[in-house]
Amino acid sequence: MYKLFLSWRYLTARRTNLIGIVGITVGVGALIMILSIMTGFLDEHRAAIRGGLSDLVITPIHLARSDRSVPPREPEALLEIVRADPRVAGAAPRLVWGGMISPRGAQTDLSEVYYSHPETGNVPVVQLIGIDVASEYQVANLREALARVSSDPASARHGVRDLDDPFAAPRDLDDDGIAYRGILVGKKLYDTFQLRVGDRVNVLTAVPDPRSGAVKSNNLIFTVCGAFKTGQSEIDSDIAYFDRRALAELIGNERSFSTVLVKLHDFERDGAATRADLEQRLDKARLIRGEGDEVSTWEDLRGSLIAAIENERILIGVMLALVLLVAGFTVFAILSMMVVEKRRDIGILSALGATRGGVLSTFLLIAFWDALVGAVSGAVLGVWLAVKIDPFERWLSATIGYQIWNREIYLFDTIPSRIVPIAVALIVLGAFACTLLFAAIPAVRAARLDPLEALRYE
Amino acid sequence: MSAPASGTRHALEVRGIAKSFQVGSETLDVLRGIDLAIPYGQPVALVGSSGAGKSTLLHIAGLLERPSAGSVRVDGVDGWNLSPDERAKVRNRKVGFVFQFYHLLPELSALENVLLPAMIAHSPGEYRAARAQLTEAALGLLARFGLQARTKHRPSQLSGGERQRVALARALIHDPPILIADEPTGNLDSATGERVLELLFDEQRTRHFAMLLVTHDAKLAARCPRTVTMRDGRIVGDTNGSGAA
Ligand SMILES: Nc1ncnc2c1ncn2[C@@H]1O[C@H](COP(=O)(O)OP(=O)(O)O)[C@@H](O)[C@H]1O
Ligand SMILES: [Mg+2]
Repeated sequence: MYKLFLSWRYLTARRTNLIGIVGITVGVGALIMILSIMTGFLDEHRAAIRGGLSDLVITPIHLARSDRSVPPREPEALLEIVRADPRVAGAAPRLVWGGMISPRGAQTDLSEVYYSHPETGNVPVVQLIGIDVASEYQVANLREALARVSSDPASARHGVRDLDDPFAAPRDLDDDGIAYRGILVGKKLYDTFQLRVGDRVNVLTAVPDPRSGAVKSNNLIFTVCGAFKTGQSEIDSDIAYFDRRALAELIGNERSFSTVLVKLHDFERDGAATRADLEQRLDKARLIRGEGDEVSTWEDLRGSLIAAIENERILIGVMLALVLLVAGFTVFAILSMMVVEKRRDIGILSALGATRGGVLSTFLLIAFWDALVGAVSGAVLGVWLAVKIDPFERWLSATIGYQIWNREIYLFDTIPSRIVPIAVALIVLGAFACTLLFAAIPAVRAARLDPLEALRYE
Repeated sequence: MSAPASGTRHALEVRGIAKSFQVGSETLDVLRGIDLAIPYGQPVALVGSSGAGKSTLLHIAGLLERPSAGSVRVDGVDGWNLSPDERAKVRNRKVGFVFQFYHLLPELSALENVLLPAMIAHSPGEYRAARAQLTEAALGLLARFGLQARTKHRPSQLSGGERQRVALARALIHDPPILIADEPTGNLDSATGERVLELLFDEQRTRHFAMLLVTHDAKLAARCPRTVTMRDGRIVGDTNGSGAA
């Protein structure tokens, strides 16, 4: 009985113990908060790495047509099989091609408003993506990207007229006798070319002849229906969307689709299994060659970057765990001092019949209380901070007059934070283990003390 | 009072105790063969010049310090033949200690100090069950020692005499068969010491525990029916004709 009683009394009677408790609280709290924010950041990072990738990507290899008399293969058969799977939420065919865009009538100015890309230099090479709007909306965030421009009063005039039909002709379009074909342009590209809704742009591309190997260039005039903004700069500066039929026309009906994007109801749960099943079914239907690289999850496509993020998460966790060592060391130091200070008490306890084990437990219990109070309040503090980090940061920034979190330089305007319950539990357990381990040293020393030696001293 | 263990008349029985300390390369023989038996209920004064080995004998008899040779029976139990934990239990239940410097725990109130041996003796469950009764016993002791208004005070808020009375109550909470005291009045002025002794002997008369009291105080020695004198690690005098053997 005295162990509980005395350890608690020593804990409360000595102010210095507060330092140990506060140390653990701050350590655990900071660890949980930082880890939650880092997890939030890494989630965002992961999302950025993912980019426009949908859960699964099907890229049949044998799409090239050697016999021009045969029409290009259509995606419907493949889509039917994919959509039949109950785990699939949506599937969208895409025709992806490369090309260049030049604002019509501005050719002479192109040297001034040339397209500048940080990686490829001054070559206005753009990814041309042909989509079926309704299915694309199911698998990708294009609708949101379009809405970001058209719903913002500041940029609404650069947005599409009708979100449900983004390729619809803009209002007040000059009728210059050119067949109407719509194009959606990434906001950065749009700004670089100083485009306006209704502008005509010339889209150029090259199409190889699979038999002769000769490359012939094609071009068509498209009308700008609006800009989109995903927030990810590569997409916003490199991509233009077309109606899939119109893009097929541009490339001479060379092919009608190149990939099928698949969105699942629950990728975390079903991703790998669905990928394998679809691969098998499509192979059986002879829609892919079945050599194992035509159906991929988005993680397959970004494997090494994902691995790097996971690695970062672990690395950060391990390094931050050093904080717990510091907290444990504080308890060690305080308890060591207390053992020296309490030599006489230890002698008295022995004289009154306390065993060595009892003395050991008493001092370990002090550390246990430290850890309990510290870790629990630290966990509460850390979780609270992780949840409230955004208002907290705003308040702190306003108070000290310095913008701690610069929202301009990130794509997200609240501080990302995700609490991982397992991590919280591990941190709390770690704090306990660390504190008790450190406390064991002075506690054993206390138990080894010669009671008489302790009593003689006055 | 505790019932005597079978086949013994002695609360404390010390046989052939020798103790030597190694100080550097020299061996210091502090006790050189001590035999002392104290019957239940007998108060014994232990006197002798400083350095005679009185405190060392008390520590050995109180199972705090292991002798180089010899045995100690407390209430019939051979204390130095027990495991450390069993020995701790004997110390807790059968020996009451009073020290010259009180040795109270500074963070505990007077009442808590008195209850400490009981807290050590019982598991949390047992203690909770016996709590009311134990508290009552402790408060009774403190009241008899004139400390009823002091039960919640910390040792630092008490005078020397009050502290020693708290220590006395603590030593008696388990009603031990033997009380061991090392110069209990050595740190008190004579009037205060006198009052403490008055209480101690009053208590002894009602409870009949045996006592082994080290003292320099002739008045204290005179209160005891038996006085044992030590010199250079040996017993050189014992007023109880038959008791020295
Ligand atoms: N732990 C020890 N180490 C060495 N010498 C000791 C130790 N304890 C006691 N002594 C010596 O034993 C002798 C007796 O001491 P003690 O029993 O305290 O005598 P008393 O209480 O009669 O004054 C003294 O000379 C003392 O210095
Ligand atoms: Mg002495």
